[in-house]
Amino acid sequence: MMGRKVRGRGMAASWYGIARTATIDRAGAWAEIDDGGTGKIVTGVTEIGEGILTLLAQVAAEEIGIKPEDITIGDNDTARSPEAAHAGATRQTYMIGNSVALACRDARAKLDRELADHWEVEVDSIEAFDGEIWSKGSNLKMSMEEAVDICKKRGVVPVGSGSFTAHGTGLDPVDGSGSPWQAYVFGTQVAEVEVDTVTGEVQVLGIWAAHDVGRAINPRGVEGQIEGGVVQGLGQALMEDYQLENGHTKTHGFAKYILPTSLDIPEINTVIIEDPDPKSPLGAKGIGEPALVPTAPAIMNAIYDAVGVRMTSLPATPEKVLAALEAKAAAGQLEAAE
Amino acid sequence: MLTCDEYHMPTTLAEALALLQAVPHGSRLVAGATDILPWAREGRAGDVNLPAMIDLSRIEELQGYEVAGGRVRLGANVVYQQFLTDKALRRHLPGMPYCSIWFADDQIREQATLAGNLVNASPAADGTPPMLAHNAELEIARLEGSDIKRRTISLADFVKGPGKTDLGPHEIVTAVICDSLDGYGGSFQKVGQRRSLVISSVCAAACIKMDKTGEVVEDIRLALGGVGPVPMRLDDIEKMLRGKQLTAELIARASAKPAERVASRTRRQYRRTVVKGFIEAAIHEALEDCGARVPGSAEREDAHV
Amino acid sequence: MSDFELEMVVNGKSIRRRAKPHLRLLDFIRDELNLTGAKEGCGAGECGTCSVFVDGKLVKSCLMPVAKAQGAKVETIEGLTPHGNELTPVQKAFHKTGASQCGYCIPGMVMAATSALRENPGAGIEEIKERLGGNICRCTGYTKIFEAVEIARDVISGKLSIAALEPDGAGKSYIGNNVRRLDAPSKVSGRLRYAGDMVMPGMLHMQVLRSPHAHALIRSIDTSEAESLPGVACVITADDVPGEDGFGVFVHDQPIMARGRVRYVGEAVAAVTADDVITAARAVSLIKVEYEPVAAVFDAEEAMQNGAPVVHDYAPDNVVKHIPIRKGDIEQGFAEADLVVEQTYDTQAVEHAYLEPEAGIAYVDHDDVVTVVSPSQNITHHRHMLAKIIDKPINKVRFIMSPVGGGFGGKEDMIYQGMLALAAMKTGAPVRLVYTREESIISTAKRHPARITYKMGLRNDGRITAVSFRMICDGGAYGLSTEGVMRKAAILSCGPYNIPNVEIDVYGIYTHNTPSGAFRTFGAMQSQFATESHMDICAEKLGLDPFEIRRINMMQDGAVTHTQQVLGSVSMGRVLDAAEKACRWDSGPVGMRGQERNDLGGEGTRPPCTLGARIRKTGDDDHQEVA
Repeated sequence: MMGRKVRGRGMAASWYGIARTATIDRAGAWAEIDDGGTGKIVTGVTEIGEGILTLLAQVAAEEIGIKPEDITIGDNDTARSPEAAHAGATRQTYMIGNSVALACRDARAKLDRELADHWEVEVDSIEAFDGEIWSKGSNLKMSMEEAVDICKKRGVVPVGSGSFTAHGTGLDPVDGSGSPWQAYVFGTQVAEVEVDTVTGEVQVLGIWAAHDVGRAINPRGVEGQIEGGVVQGLGQALMEDYQLENGHTKTHGFAKYILPTSLDIPEINTVIIEDPDPKSPLGAKGIGEPALVPTAPAIMNAIYDAVGVRMTSLPATPEKVLAALEAKAAAGQLEAAE
Repeated sequence: MLTCDEYHMPTTLAEALALLQAVPHGSRLVAGATDILPWAREGRAGDVNLPAMIDLSRIEELQGYEVAGGRVRLGANVVYQQFLTDKALRRHLPGMPYCSIWFADDQIREQATLAGNLVNASPAADGTPPMLAHNAELEIARLEGSDIKRRTISLADFVKGPGKTDLGPHEIVTAVICDSLDGYGGSFQKVGQRRSLVISSVCAAACIKMDKTGEVVEDIRLALGGVGPVPMRLDDIEKMLRGKQLTAELIARASAKPAERVASRTRRQYRRTVVKGFIEAAIHEALEDCGARVPGSAEREDAHV
Repeated sequence: MSDFELEMVVNGKSIRRRAKPHLRLLDFIRDELNLTGAKEGCGAGECGTCSVFVDGKLVKSCLMPVAKAQGAKVETIEGLTPHGNELTPVQKAFHKTGASQCGYCIPGMVMAATSALRENPGAGIEEIKERLGGNICRCTGYTKIFEAVEIARDVISGKLSIAALEPDGAGKSYIGNNVRRLDAPSKVSGRLRYAGDMVMPGMLHMQVLRSPHAHALIRSIDTSEAESLPGVACVITADDVPGEDGFGVFVHDQPIMARGRVRYVGEAVAAVTADDVITAARAVSLIKVEYEPVAAVFDAEEAMQNGAPVVHDYAPDNVVKHIPIRKGDIEQGFAEADLVVEQTYDTQAVEHAYLEPEAGIAYVDHDDVVTVVSPSQNITHHRHMLAKIIDKPINKVRFIMSPVGGGFGGKEDMIYQGMLALAAMKTGAPVRLVYTREESIISTAKRHPARITYKMGLRNDGRITAVSFRMICDGGAYGLSTEGVMRKAAILSCGPYNIPNVEIDVYGIYTHNTPSGAFRTFGAMQSQFATESHMDICAEKLGLDPFEIRRINMMQDGAVTHTQQVLGSVSMGRVLDAAEKACRWDSGPVGMRGQERNDLGGEGTRPPCTLGARIRKTGDDDHQEVA
């Protein structure tokens, strides 16, 4: 005989493609190494909460050789910035990140050329990081602020542009064959649940989420994406349900459309796997969407592990779980437990 | 969107009662206002314009509470958060703390009054079952000429159906008066679609006092919400248990009974199934709350076979 | 309506204002005092974005008539850091841990966290979670927020050094470094202005008339009474569209406002622009529309039947898109199987529920450029579409992306920007539209509900020989992203497994339901939910551990996908190993094993939520439990 509250675990795997599907994807960016050794980046897409601004600043800082806080990212404006297309499809890090990297490299090449000439060293010897620029193997070193000043006094504004392409191909209309993406990611999640056999309520107590993201540019940001994805997956698994009756919604507001609160969420344990992308400058792939793919099936598999009922219809509300438990009991499948 | 032509903030009951007689038909009393604002939105009442709103929250004589003669008189402006933060209230009203923690959230509990929750008369109102268990009465005032007349009515009689109460058009609930159950253990069971800020599908309240031996039920109060048009007190189940040696078998038998009384129009089967487990859980937790022994789980399993 | 004379102290400053009695405290602080840190996420007390302190107690300002704050001390998020003062420890901790993502819930969340620590500076994590229980966050999964509140608590109490709030060092590279979010200070302080927080001089306000019918012909629209209401600047309908009316991510089948026919409840029919929201709303109620309801279809499978009501004439079979994928020989694949398992799966429609409802401002600038400022996830495509719709050259149409308070795909659709542009063109004034939560829910896209019929053949050793996968999705009344969603769902449907023979058919179907569109995972969540459930069902029948059945079938380096793409490096084995190890998985065949498992609880899990951390009896009544 089961106690009132029983636990179980389940897992699910997943895969996902990065950037736009079955088509060529592209994004552009402009970069300028600016006065004071700062950086200016302009690209046509922005933050929707995932942290892309910070990530682009990190990429630009790394490529230019300055600090992320010294990067200014321009407004996203179709009349003022190059096309970077949309904020979606797990494409921002991959598409915009790489286009910004290319734009910064272009700008740096101009700066390095002037500086190499100024220092009379090989251009390949020039390196920069965290606001300083130097010629490797020499004691020639200055601040980026001075370097920009020298470059400009030589008549050159160090600006660059970048365009990054991802080569997906369309699907054959008959057999669907094609190469929709050039980068794929994989993930696995494990869920531990507690099922209340009196109410049918399911609490998710733990999620372990292992995801390949390519190179993780900001690991904490990756965790944030996974945690948010898991909780959206949990919402869909257990409570969220937009209901219509003859086309009229029955869930007008958040009193009826039920979202997970702080009391509904599991401990989330993230494991970041880095399998770098060989086809792009940064080696990063993405995580925005894939994070939530395996959550719901992992939870359903855990419910089965706990109480032996297979929830094939989402969401697994307390009512549905309890009905399934009763149906199972009625079918006499609990006999063995006596 | 809720709009109104006049917004009144009386500071005395007499003033409020006079206003209530004077304002046009369709005006509304508000206490915490946490239910009326969401009500006047798409999907519920839609846009509403009220001729007047009479806000009771500044009326001095509706604030605070008193304990006397085994009864607690809760002024109508007592908000839910007080059942959590006020230690004396927690002691006298063991049915309320867990009900309150389940009620809405910290912000809403600072505004929402118990009296308002009872007057709304929602079948799923969290406050009604524990207040039924505490034998609550409502004190109601009205104006006769220039005199304030008061009457009291039991909560059970006051709530007539979903959104329907015995409150007259020119009456104001001034207090909730209920038993002090100091020394009782209390508990509250609730299930909704999540753990916070959620409407009950079913809720149950229990208050229990064991005799000196700790084995015999001296008194027990049980009530259910979300199971029909009005929350219900389970007098017959209480009778089954009162004065009895508490065994797992007895609790199980008692818990099985109320399921048939579930009369909700929707999700009836679900609620029936939950109720059975809830009565049992409410009794167990109330026993734990007063430090009494909970009849063993092995014993309980036998009872189900 | 007589105004109310209000006096209060807001963020330490005495305020005296006359205001309408129906104003909520939220309206008063946002519109009258221009303190826009408190947001309106739902207007119904369900999300907490509007939380402010009134006389020291945290309340939801959307639930408080402003009169209730008469004489009170009000403290908003702006009051936590007056005059650009240093961020509070709570705010710094949010910055440090990455607790803000889109940021829209964050002012309310910071206020709730501040309140929690003011009420109980020693609150344990369970109590902290309860005290944040009235605040919804849709982005972060709450985890980094909890971490931030615990750090702040310990810094305030002196248990942790303030160094805990400082950023990590640069190290040798900024790649792979936990650089703190650059946008966090603006979000934790409430300074960041989203579209609904923006005001322009002379700005007008828009309200929208929406269809009460799922499917009806529009016989006439009479706007005369609405137009003559004082304060109304203009009323627009489909007749005001100068160009080629139609938007959508793949097929441009949706008019800016209903054109002759409404296809779902909540579809925009007309819009009013007026001096204020209430006048606009009143005018909306004066528009007379004569509808002729006609037969509607609400089920995707019914919509596929002959004779079903047709949603769009161009698609008489109601199919938005069918994506077929074929590989190998499906019949032979099933013939080779020792076990064939069939099951049907259903997933529901899901709302994006970003905390920021749709909002935008449009204006025509000094160079006649029609400009729309909105939290659009795709300004590039919106510019293209709007240029055609308003019949302007591309460089006379400009989209500016305002900070996005959560998108998840739901803000890829140009669902309201066209109305704003038309009204700005017609009035010559800036026009702002801010959706209510209810409006957002009723009129914007959902995750596609799906019914999936699954058939898998396997050998006794666990190898999959064939999969037949059929998925029917309710696309609702308009195409939006349905085509792309079907494609992604189909490509990824059968999971990261080597399956020699597949037959995949995914259909997106028009109905008269709320349209479905782009939503984080673009169909892949639905299709892989079926696959991953099915893998466990099959594993149980074969007596296999769930990891084992997946390893037997998983794609590896050089795998050929269901669309016959040859992959390079495949990390599937690594993620399986990592998850299994991290959770200390107790191996065994799939079944009802919960009672026997030895890996339950402990590290990596939380205790089940039993409410009442702050009141739980622990012997000493004053002792607050710290779980």
